[in-house]
Amino acid sequence: MAASKLQALWNHPAGPKTIHFWAPTFKWGISIANVADFAKPPEKISYPQQIAVTCTGLIWSRYSLVITPKNWNLFSVNVAMAGTGLYQLSRKIQQDYLSDVKEEAIKE
Amino acid sequence: MAALRAFWNSPVGPKTTHFWGPVANWGFVTAGLVDTQKPPEMISGNMTAAMCVYSGLFMRFAWMVRPRNYLLLACHVSNEAVQLYQLSRWAKAQGYVY
Repeated sequence: MAASKLQALWNHPAGPKTIHFWAPTFKWGISIANVADFAKPPEKISYPQQIAVTCTGLIWSRYSLVITPKNWNLFSVNVAMAGTGLYQLSRKIQQDYLSDVKEEAIKE
Repeated sequence: MAALRAFWNSPVGPKTTHFWGPVANWGFVTAGLVDTQKPPEMISGNMTAAMCVYSGLFMRFAWMVRPRNYLLLACHVSNEAVQLYQLSRWAKAQGYVY
């Protein structure tokens, strides 16, 4: 019973023997790398890169829901990308623009 | 004129989702190019290595998916080049290569 279901999955045209499986699956690596980078100081964050990560995540989140069939794996990985990108951006913006305001207030 | 019309109506053209997703992915290439001008200490080894694997896999994906997506393929070939370059700059700055 379970064996034939597993076999069906294994032999699926978008299954683990194909690139259609591994490419979207590996996209999680980008979000994982971003989460690892949460520990890094905001000076090291790159605005262009995180904007690219966020925008790609947002655009692909939408598109994964309008393609046929809907691809929830693709949707979730892109939501994660947009989320981690936004968080990294907020960390850097906070340091670059918001803590300056605080420092000036302290000086006064 | 005919070529433009063919592009406009293409199954992977600007009226379809197969076009705009890859356009978004060019953002990685642009960001990478901008970042080549920054000091290598700013490069994230994690992210750059992830990008190298990601674009490698997606080159193959773009080739095998139907309809075949040359725009996505071009994007990932370019990104692979930029990210490998950034990775080499990072590795040099970290002292992994001379």
